[in-house]
Amino acid sequence: MERVKERAKVLEIKDLRVSFHTRRGVFKALRGVDLELYKGEVLGLAGESGSGKSTLGLAIMGLLPRNARVESGEVLLDGSKDVLKMLRDYGSRDVKFDPRKNEKLIKRLNKELREVRGRALAMVFQEPLTSLNPVLQVGYQIAEAVYYHDPMRLVRRAISRNRCTQADLRDLMTTLKTKGEEALIEEVEKRNLRGLEEQILSIWRRQDIHEAKKEKLILSLDKHKLDSKDRLGISIYLRGLQRVPVLGRLAKDALIKEGYRLAVEILTYLGIPHPEKVVRMYPHELSGGMRQRVVIGIAIVNNPEIVIMDEPTSALDVTIQAQILELVSSLKASSNRSFIFISHDLSVLAEVSDRIAIMYAGKIAEVGPVKVIFEEPQHPYTKMLMDAIPTMDKTELKAIPGSVPDMRSPPKGCSFSNRCPFVMPKCKEMEPPMVEVSEGHKVACFLVGERK
Amino acid sequence: MISIKLWVYVLRRILILIPTLIGLTLLVFVLVHIQGNNLILAEYINPRLTGQARELEIQRLTQEFHLDQPVYVQYFYWLGQVLTGNLGYTNTPIYSGPVTTAITLFLPNTVVLSLFAALLIWLIGIPLGVFSAVNRDSPADQGIRVFSFTLYSMPIYLIAIALILLLGVYLNVLPFSGEVSPQMVAGLSWFRDGISYPTHVLLIDAILHGDYAVAWNAFLHLIMPSLTLALAVMAGIIRILRASMLEVLEQDYIRLARAKGVPERVVNNLHARRNAMLPVVTSFGYTVAGLLGGVVVVESVFDFPGIGYWTTQALLNNDIGGIMASTLLFGIVLVLTTLILDLVYAVVDPRIRY
Ligand SMILES: Nc1ncnc2c1ncn2[C@@H]1O[C@H](COP(=O)(O)OP(=O)(O)OP(=O)(O)O)[C@@H](O)[C@H]1O
Ligand SMILES: [Mg+2]
Repeated sequence: MERVKERAKVLEIKDLRVSFHTRRGVFKALRGVDLELYKGEVLGLAGESGSGKSTLGLAIMGLLPRNARVESGEVLLDGSKDVLKMLRDYGSRDVKFDPRKNEKLIKRLNKELREVRGRALAMVFQEPLTSLNPVLQVGYQIAEAVYYHDPMRLVRRAISRNRCTQADLRDLMTTLKTKGEEALIEEVEKRNLRGLEEQILSIWRRQDIHEAKKEKLILSLDKHKLDSKDRLGISIYLRGLQRVPVLGRLAKDALIKEGYRLAVEILTYLGIPHPEKVVRMYPHELSGGMRQRVVIGIAIVNNPEIVIMDEPTSALDVTIQAQILELVSSLKASSNRSFIFISHDLSVLAEVSDRIAIMYAGKIAEVGPVKVIFEEPQHPYTKMLMDAIPTMDKTELKAIPGSVPDMRSPPKGCSFSNRCPFVMPKCKEMEPPMVEVSEGHKVACFLVGERK
Repeated sequence: MISIKLWVYVLRRILILIPTLIGLTLLVFVLVHIQGNNLILAEYINPRLTGQARELEIQRLTQEFHLDQPVYVQYFYWLGQVLTGNLGYTNTPIYSGPVTTAITLFLPNTVVLSLFAALLIWLIGIPLGVFSAVNRDSPADQGIRVFSFTLYSMPIYLIAIALILLLGVYLNVLPFSGEVSPQMVAGLSWFRDGISYPTHVLLIDAILHGDYAVAWNAFLHLIMPSLTLALAVMAGIIRILRASMLEVLEQDYIRLARAKGVPERVVNNLHARRNAMLPVVTSFGYTVAGLLGGVVVVESVFDFPGIGYWTTQALLNNDIGGIMASTLLFGIVLVLTTLILDLVYAVVDPRIRY
């Protein structure tokens, strides 16, 4: 586990406290969360319903609703950018909380975080069925994510494809076959055809068709030239005229059209059949599984450093669930990106995670490498969760007795104390601190502290 | 989008229009004829005739209009005439002659007036509704809400009078009577008896004849009536749009748009507005009904020679030809717009299929 330590932290959450102000009272959803995410890992986040998993994800994105008060804490991106500073400055003040004031700050935050969201940081929400805009085509919704962050990528793709010749493609094909992907990228660079490599590779990496077919597809890339309207739109863009009313429209149309091609590639990668048709469809025409993949496609299209996936599989049936898990694993392997994978299903997390954090009542109860958590869980809550996982050789499942505390008035001391079989008097008095029991394995429980 | 199914749907809808129009015209026909035959006679008989000649003329007209038959039989004679394209005669102070000619003279003006109003609604109402929701609870939002609620609770003639007092009398910046200042058009070859040629829309005709001073004057005369109409309709639209915008802005897909890093301007004006417009389009059928009634009032208040003005004249002068024809015309416009709106709805909401 030394490797984990050496890796750079891409995200650090310190003592994050968020509460929701509602008519029925103040719900303390996050009560001091400390967590970090390292480059290239999948961090599984587990916990019962209401433990604050989604709230944590939304807080990282800066997408909290207006009634959410950030009482304290930091979310540091790349070790420096403090996402929630503005909301915390207001939320930590000792005044009566006014959602309207908070909303004003949220609006400013939306402007401030625009560049980061979708590019460095992306999230797949828990509700895949309602997350797509019903009146916009699927292809547009994917294309747009690229258009607002990396329009030059679309320009490069379009121009390089327009410029390349059959001879170019043949040479590149040979390079790819004999010397591999790295050499292809170099060769593309040399021929001044940047933007073509991703189009070639997206075909080359496909697993649903055999090699001869791939070759044929790659060699026919030069057939898809730009029409005069697209050329006009792109040249408007390159001259910096995209802010001029009518011209800007032409530029956007041309780039979005290229974005549809990119969307087709992404959907192919995500295993959606007939992607050329699907990009022209509206969300209601797709099944739940397809919509879920479109939402994932939107999240990954810009290759963000961090992707938060909030229960991406819960709404799906088992086969599609397996496909999505496979997808996350392959994304992680191929891109060295970091993921926070939220689920209340530990067996799902076991499949994809490198580390697992267990949340209980707005706090991290235990966090550690996946193997350690499964083989030597320390926190009584984690242990009970493990016993509740259905497996082949278990004869009975042990439900956890008792229920989650009311988050309006969480118990003093350890929040699990009312359900814990090993409860001690001091558990009801003090909150147990996080103790590191072994490399990267931290537990918040007095039992662990005792033994040390 | 345009499929066989769509055409079948349109055809079915048009077939349903027929009984609606029959019902509407029958009702008005009966109401008008309840007053007896004298009205009809008064309209067609030459007032200078007396004695024997007058009796003969009455007999002839009774035969021609089947006045000795029951009302519903008369209605079917009328309907038969309408179906052959004969809408009868109108006899009002502003025009006497065939109804069909009256329509070609007055309808274009009303169309232009409505288009101007629609443009104002589009340019002012929709942005206000969106702005109000996006900046909810701000002073601007409060202001817009008071503004739209006030308008909403005002009858249209009150809006007209308020505008006349404010812009026409107090500030004295805009004309508020007729379609043009009379001295501007005196002696023009293409303007006779209050009617301009060839399109009968003064603004367009003036431009066609290169007379931009008259065109400008006609344009100024258009502002107040169209603004009145626009304000009356806008009130409802702002309220509906604001409410539906607020609802849409809470949706998951708006959060996703933000999570993608789409600029706020685009989130509001594309992602949210396109969805929020759906209830506005749905309610537009009622709006158009209100608009038609509004046209009658507005054109009368501003002496604007359009179809509404003519209708008022017909009503005031017991002009049966005019009353029946405008009833039919307004009915057709209303049912056709609801049909068109249904089709528009299918375009803006991809979930609707016929
Ligand atoms: N918008 C909101 N307004 C008020 N309370 C909220 C809001 N969102 C979440 N909460 C409350 O915050 C707490 C944490 O909710 P959260 O959605 O983060 O839980 P979760 O772990 O994601 O649960 P689940 O597994 O059901 O998705 C809950 O008590 C919930 O009722
Ligand atoms: Mg959740």
